[in-house]
Amino acid sequence: MMLPIQTNQRAIAIFGLLLLALIVAPSAQSYPYGVSGVQDSGCTCHGQSTSSEVVPVLEGLPTELEAGGTYLLNISFTGGPSGQNPDAYALGGFHLWASAGTITPVDDKVIINADGSATHSGEDAQDTGTGNDQTQWQVEWTAPMEGGAKFTLHTNSVNGDGTSGGDLYNRLNAEVGPQPVEQARGLTVLASAIFLMATITFGCVAWVFYRRDPDAFAWERFWPFISDYLTSTDHKKVGTLYMINGLFFLGVGGIFALIFRIQLASPGNDFLTQDEYNQFFTMHGTTMIFLAAMPMIAGFANWIVPLQIGAPDLALPRLNALAFWLNPAAALLIFTGIFSGQGADTGWTGYAPYIVSNTAHSGATLWVAGQILIVASSTVSGINFMTTFCTMRAPGMGWMQMPLFSWSMLIATLMLFISIPAFGIGLIQVLLDRTIGTVFYEVAAGGDPLLWSHLFWYFGHPEVYVVVLPAFGVISEVLSTSARRTIFGYKSMVFALAGIGILGFIVYGHHMFTSGMSPVLRFVTMLTTMLVAVPTGIKIFNWLQTMHGGSLVYRTHTLWALGFLITFTLGGISGMYFPAVAMDLHLHETYFVVAHFHYVFVGGIVFGLYSGLYYWFPKATGRMMNEKVGIIHFITGFISYNLIFWPMHRLGIQGMPRRQHTYFITTDEYFALPAEAADWNMMITIAAFMFFASNLILVYNLISSGLRGQKAPSDPWGGWSMEWVVSSPPPTPSHNPSDLPVLQFAEEHDEGEPGLFGRIIEWMMIPEEQHGGEEE
Amino acid sequence: MEAGGEIFHNLFDEFNFWAVIVFVIVIVWQFHHSLKYRSKDGKSLGYDSDEFTPGVFPKENDNMTMELTWTIVPFILIVYLTYIAWGPIDEMWKEDPDAHKIGIVGNQWYWDLDCVVDDVDVNNSIGPQMEAYDENGNLICQITTIDVEGQTKPLLRVKAEQSYAFIMTSNDVTHAPFFLDWGIKEDTQPGMETRLYHTPSMDEVGSSLLMCTEYCGKDHGYMTAVVEVFE
Repeated sequence: MMLPIQTNQRAIAIFGLLLLALIVAPSAQSYPYGVSGVQDSGCTCHGQSTSSEVVPVLEGLPTELEAGGTYLLNISFTGGPSGQNPDAYALGGFHLWASAGTITPVDDKVIINADGSATHSGEDAQDTGTGNDQTQWQVEWTAPMEGGAKFTLHTNSVNGDGTSGGDLYNRLNAEVGPQPVEQARGLTVLASAIFLMATITFGCVAWVFYRRDPDAFAWERFWPFISDYLTSTDHKKVGTLYMINGLFFLGVGGIFALIFRIQLASPGNDFLTQDEYNQFFTMHGTTMIFLAAMPMIAGFANWIVPLQIGAPDLALPRLNALAFWLNPAAALLIFTGIFSGQGADTGWTGYAPYIVSNTAHSGATLWVAGQILIVASSTVSGINFMTTFCTMRAPGMGWMQMPLFSWSMLIATLMLFISIPAFGIGLIQVLLDRTIGTVFYEVAAGGDPLLWSHLFWYFGHPEVYVVVLPAFGVISEVLSTSARRTIFGYKSMVFALAGIGILGFIVYGHHMFTSGMSPVLRFVTMLTTMLVAVPTGIKIFNWLQTMHGGSLVYRTHTLWALGFLITFTLGGISGMYFPAVAMDLHLHETYFVVAHFHYVFVGGIVFGLYSGLYYWFPKATGRMMNEKVGIIHFITGFISYNLIFWPMHRLGIQGMPRRQHTYFITTDEYFALPAEAADWNMMITIAAFMFFASNLILVYNLISSGLRGQKAPSDPWGGWSMEWVVSSPPPTPSHNPSDLPVLQFAEEHDEGEPGLFGRIIEWMMIPEEQHGGEEE
Repeated sequence: MEAGGEIFHNLFDEFNFWAVIVFVIVIVWQFHHSLKYRSKDGKSLGYDSDEFTPGVFPKENDNMTMELTWTIVPFILIVYLTYIAWGPIDEMWKEDPDAHKIGIVGNQWYWDLDCVVDDVDVNNSIGPQMEAYDENGNLICQITTIDVEGQTKPLLRVKAEQSYAFIMTSNDVTHAPFFLDWGIKEDTQPGMETRLYHTPSMDEVGSSLLMCTEYCGKDHGYMTAVVEVFE
C-alpha cells in the first residue's frame, strides 16, 4: 500500500511546483497584447530591482497642458556607480514611456522603440559621444489632443565596465494633464474572483471535513476523505462532484456577468476595453451552458436516476467517472486564453467565418479544444444513461411507469445524442482550420459562410431542450409530491416530452432568419417553431391541473416550482415572438432575445434545478434544509431575477443590440436609444448584484444545513418513486442488487408492457441469456 | 421617433394581446389552485388526495377531454398567429424590380456604402458613387459623413416614398446592418449576396442609427452609421 501513496505524493508535489512556478512567474510573453512586464517588474539589462541610490529627474513637463502642444523634456539622473570609474566605456541610459502623445528625438543620442517609447542610442561600449555615454538627454513630446498622459522613466547608472554587473537603475512615474478615473482591470478582477472562488470552495470542503467529526479531526485523514471522492465511481459521489462543479461555475459565470454589467451600467462607459468585454460575454455564455447548466443536470441525473428506477448504480460506472473528469480539463482549456488577455472572443455561438479569421483571439483555439472535451464527456455519459434506462429498470417498471424526471432525462439524452455529433464535427473542423490550415470555413477558398451556423444551431437549439427538459422533470416530481396528487395526464406528459424531442430538431432555422439562408428553410422553420408551443403548453396546463383537488404543502421547493411556472411561461410566451419573421427582423440580436433566453435558462432551468436541489437535498445528505433561509433565498432571488431580465424586453424593443461594448443615446443629430435606456441599464446592473448575493444564501444554506440540519427520514416529502424507499442518505450500492425493489401498483393496470417502444428497444438489445457475462 | 417599423408594431400589438390573455389565464389558474388547495400538512383538507407510498406507482389522474382541449385550443391559436405572421413576410422580402439599388459592404469595422450599384462587384473598378438621381433629376441617394460620439461615420441619405433595394455582401466576416428606425436587418456574408428591401414612409423622415448586429470582433459595438430619410 505504500507505493501508490508515494506516487500520489510525488504527483501532487510536481503539480504543486508547477502551480507555484505559474504563480511566481506569470510573465509569459503572449502575442500581441499579453503580459510583458518590463515597465512593472524591472529593467531589461540592469538588475531586477530598483535602487534608491539612483535619482531620475524628468524636467520640462508643463503645469497646464496645451492640447497638441510640443514640449522639450530634459531627462537626467544623479547617483549610482556612474562616473566613479575613470576608464568607463559608458555612463548611463534611460527608457521613457508615455501613455499618450508622441515622443520624438532631438538628436542622435535618443532612439524610438517600436512601441513608441524612447531610449538612449549607442551599442558599442567604446563609442564616445553616443547616447550611452551621457547622464542627461533631451526628447520632444507632443501632447495628445485630449486628456493627459502618464510617464514612466527608468534611468540606469552604469559603472562602465562593459557588463551589467554592479549597475543600478531606478524608476520615476510622472503624470500631466487630466487623468482618467482609476479603473479596475477586468482581467485582474476576474483572476482575483476565480482565486477567491477556489479559496472559498477549498475552505468549504475543509470546513465540511472538520465539522463531520470535530473530535476526530486530523489533517492526516483529509487526503483519504478527498481521494475517496476523487477516485470514486459511485454514482452518488460522482453526482456530488458534478453538483459542486456546476455550482462553482455558476458562481464564476455570474461574476463574468457582474463584470460586464458594470461596463453596461452607463452609456459610453469604459470600465472594460472592447477586447475584455468581448471575452467576458463569450466566457459567460460558454461557462453557464457547458460548465454550469449541463454539469448540474448531470449531477441530478447521476444522483437520482439510479435511485428512481431502482438500480444499484449506473450501468457503466467507470465511464461515468471519466465523463465527469473530462469536465474540469475542458474548463481549464476554455479559460486558459483569458489570463493572457487573449481569451476566446467569439460569442458562445462561435460563428464562422469570424472564429477562423485572424481577428479572433488566439485563445479561441483552446476554447474550441475545451468544447471538444465537453462533447466527448456528454457523449460518454449519454451512452451510460441510455444503457441504464434500457437495462436496469426495477422489476415491474415498464417504460410507461418510469417517474417523469427519469423520462425527461431519457428524452434529453436521446436528443443530445442525435444533435451533439454535428457540433463535434464543426468544432473539429474549426480546430483544424485554426491549427493546421485546412479551409473548411475559409470563404475565399470556397467554404460556405453559413455551414457553421447550420451545424451549430442544429445542435444549439436541441441543446436548449436538453437542459430544460430535466428541469421539466423536476417540476413534475415536485408539484405532484407537494400537492399529494398524481401528476395530471402522465401519458400526455410523456408524449409532450417526446413531441418536444422530435420538434426540437426541425426548428433550428429560426436562429438564422436574418442570415441569408434559403427562404424555403426560413418559412418551414417558422411553422415548426410555432408548433413547439403546443407540447410545451400541454405541460404547463398539466402542471396547473395537477394541483386541482390536492393538498398543496408549501415548502421551499414548492415555491421555486411555482416561481418556475410564472417565469417559464413568460419565457415561453416571449419565444413566440421570434418565429413571426417580420418581428424577428427587428428583435433579432437585441436585448429582447437576451431577455427571452434568460427567462428560459434562469427562470426555467436554474429555478427548476433550485427546486430539485431543495427537494432532493434531504435524500442526498440525510439532513433537512433550513426552510426559513430557503424562503429568504426564494424571495430575494425571484424578485431580483425579474428586476434584471424584465426591463431587457423593453430595451430590446427600443433596439438595444446585444454583444456591444456600449450603447448610444439619442442626440439632436440622430435617433438611437431613448435616454431612459441608461436608467434601465443601471437598474439591471444593481439587480444583478442583488441576484448574485441572493445565491450566496443558497450556498450558506447548503453547507450549514448539510452539517447541522435535522436528520431526514427516508421519505420526508411523501413522494412515491423509488428513491424514497431507501434510507437517507442512501446506502452503497443504492439498491441491494440481490434484492431489487419491485414496483407495485396502487390500482389495477393494463398489462400493455412492453409497448411498441419497449419492443423496439428489446429487439435492438442482446438477448437476455447472453447478457451479463462480461459485467460480472 | 420609435424603433421598429409599422409592420413590426402591428404584429407586436396583436401578439401582445394574445400573450396577455394566455398569461392571465395561467396566472389566475395558478394562484387560484395554489391558494385554494393549500394545506399545512398535506392531509387536513380532506380532498381526495392520492395516497403516495414509496415504491408504489400511484393511481391514474387524467381526463382525456381536458387534455385534448389544451392541445387543440392552443393549436388553433398557433395556426391563427402563424396566419397573421405570414402576410408581412411577403411585404418584407418582396422583390421590387423598380427599386433603386444601394450597395452595402461590411468590413471590420466600418460600412462601405455605394449609391449606384447593379451588382456588388460591378462598381469595384469605378469606385463608390456618392450621389444618385432618379429620372426626374431628383436626389434619391447621398452619402456624406456625420459625427457619432466623437467618431466620423458614414451618413446615408435616402428619400421618403422611394423604393430601395440594399444589395449587401461582406469583405471579411459576418456583419448585419440594423436599420433601427425601420426595424429590419439582414446579415452580410462574405462570398454571398444578401438583399433587403424597404420603402421609407413619410413617418420615417429623420435620422436614426444603423448598427452592426452580428458579432464581428473587437470594434463590433462601434460599427455604426446614420441613415437619414428626407422628404
